[in-house]
Amino acid sequence: MGFTYPLLSDADAGVIRRYDLLHRGAGPKGADIARPAEFLIDSQGIIRWVNSTDNIAVRARPEQVLAAFNERRGD
Amino acid sequence: MDLAVGDGKIDMKRNWNWSLWIGFFLTLAGFFSYQFFAQFPVTRDFPWANLLLFAVGAIFLLAGLVRAFVRPQLYRGKVFGSIFALLSLFIFGFFAYGVFYVLRQVPASLSAPRIGEKAPAFTLPDQNGKPTALMDLISPNGAILIFYRGHW
Repeated sequence: MGFTYPLLSDADAGVIRRYDLLHRGAGPKGADIARPAEFLIDSQGIIRWVNSTDNIAVRARPEQVLAAFNERRGD
Repeated sequence: MDLAVGDGKIDMKRNWNWSLWIGFFLTLAGFFSYQFFAQFPVTRDFPWANLLLFAVGAIFLLAGLVRAFVRPQLYRGKVFGSIFALLSLFIFGFFAYGVFYVLRQVPASLSAPRIGEKAPAFTLPDQNGKPTALMDLISPNGAILIFYRGHW
């Protein structure tokens, strides 16, 4: 499909639940779907930055994520 | 203008009160353009473009109403202007409820992984159906994990 990054499918929302990111009934026909959230993970698998919006229309912009990455790469 | 003289009946030659029509049209535009403006982060993060349309629409509606009520012998619109204004209020109220209330009903996610914690491991199928573990995606630079929904 032309993606240059992996697009993973969490069909039963198992991972979404494990990350406590389930938004009950917010999907089409009242389905449970993920709330938007972005995590920056370092090479050791440790979370270094999180963006959890309080408005589902507002997501992290690419430049925000890049800035978060650049700020932390030296640590 | 002396068109409104007569025996007290409504004179059909009064001026059309275009201000009311323009105001109502702008209100509708402010509402229905949400889908369009939501495509761009700059007009989606805060819906200022829609609010601007609503505001200009309100000015036109108000101007039209003032004309209709202050100079009814010259301008139409006492009745349909009031209806337009009421409808516009409802439409704006519905819009504001959606944008400023419904969109902010996000679960608290109090148990979501936090900074400093290890990202919980998982394996999920990718777009080609191939099982992919989070750890396989972490490069020497790390990884960005995005939970999203919808088309943006």
